Amino acid sequence: MPDVETRTANAAETEALGEALAAELSANDVVYLEGDLGAGKTAFARGLARGLGASEREVASPTFALLHEYAGPSGSIVLRHLDLYRLVDALRELEVLGLPDSMEGAPVCVEWPRGALRRLLPPTVEVRIDTKPGGDGRRVSIRRAGDRAR
Amino acid sequence: MIVLGIETSCDETSAAVVDGEGRVLSNVVSSQMRAHAPYGGVVPEVAARAHLENLPAVLDAALERAGKRLEDAELVAATAGPGLIGALLVGLSAGRGLAFARGLPLVGVNHLEGHLFSAFLRPGGEPARPLALPFHGLVVSGGHAELVRVEEGGRIVPLARTRDDAPGEAFDKIARRAGLGYPGGPVVDRIAQRGRGDRFPFAIGRSGDGSLDFSFSGLKTAMLRELERRGIDGSPLDPERLDPELVDLLASFQRAIVAALLDRVERVHAAEGMQTLAISGGVAANTELRATLSAWGGEHGVAVLLPDRSFTTDNAAMIAWAGLLAARRGAPTDPAAAAARSRWPLGT
Repeated sequence: MPDVETRTANAAETEALGEALAAELSANDVVYLEGDLGAGKTAFARGLARGLGASEREVASPTFALLHEYAGPSGSIVLRHLDLYRLVDALRELEVLGLPDSMEGAPVCVEWPRGALRRLLPPTVEVRIDTKPGGDGRRVSIRRAGDRAR
Repeated sequence: MIVLGIETSCDETSAAVVDGEGRVLSNVVSSQMRAHAPYGGVVPEVAARAHLENLPAVLDAALERAGKRLEDAELVAATAGPGLIGALLVGLSAGRGLAFARGLPLVGVNHLEGHLFSAFLRPGGEPARPLALPFHGLVVSGGHAELVRVEEGGRIVPLARTRDDAPGEAFDKIARRAGLGYPGGPVVDRIAQRGRGDRFPFAIGRSGDGSLDFSFSGLKTAMLRELERRGIDGSPLDPERLDPELVDLLASFQRAIVAALLDRVERVHAAEGMQTLAISGGVAANTELRATLSAWGGEHGVAVLLPDRSFTTDNAAMIAWAGLLAARRGAPTDPAAAAARSRWPLGT
């Protein structure tokens, strides 16, 4: 997918963008999802999950659990969904999540990425969802950030 | 029967002793939450190391407060999922070690199933309420919103879950953005009691595909916009000296969460008829939710069970109790077979 700059009118359109990106992802991809509270990061992740073959009913915000894993029809993990909202930027906390070793075999998307994560689990795709247009509209940019090294 | 329960799936390290009648003889919870930390006050110490450091003392305290010794335990119940593997492994491995050493059976418990049956527990060392199967369960917390039916044989059938935020998470995120600190549920609960919940009507979120699933992100976003419009940006506010309009706004936000939960409960009752509804999870401590669902149950002839507040947040008493019930239903009790599962949907 070439880099994308677009606008979405509602959460369903943001989700559809995620689903479109899913078709481009391989197991090595790490998608950073940036944007304020309520921007639609989880909606985008739901689209990713659906595009990768998981039931969208599996998807929910991982803020409390920190990590959700979504399985496809065969039962294997097709997407990992991380959320660092509750964490301070402490390397130790990230290591406890098993990063980066426990992230193998399926693409990862990360809400509220920051700090040491950039080193432990660098992004291959950066998605920014901006609420600035106001109302339900969002400005979304999707940018390839290089290959995942590991 | 003496059951030793262990819970380490997320932020809390907990151990408990429960007997065969469901009497909670002890329930020790060591919160790893460091409140009011630099980053907005929401910092779980998720380090498995912290669980590891806490667990021995928590286990000792649980036995001591129950007046029991390790030799008295006849069953070990440890949370096996869902959760962070590193955190789960601390409690489950400790449980397995105890079970192996003493030749005891061990049940790996689903954390959500622990919540589900927690509404039957009573405080003060009273026996648990009689298990009324079938029943419906509503688990509402910082990480979950699950409405299920528990059938006569104990099979759990999921009916509705959240597609985005959990209700407790919505409380936390809004309270933080309103400058009211963490955790958000209790502070909004207190403020809402002096506000008008009908002043700012919010729409009830639906999943968009006609399913019963919950959605709270639309409500969260609408509320964020209301805060933004009033110039509220997360700077600390004194909950006792809020602008009356903000008090009403928070009361209305809480009303909307309660209304969404009641809406699904009503739809399930209309579709299949409820006899008993057991509420559980951290949000089950919410005053308005308890009052609203109790009143609804009274009107519709549904027995609504509300957990004691000490059993609403993560705790090992509910794990011990659910483990005991699972063992009685014939769940595997071989400690060698118990494995931690990061992903474990209810009913699977």
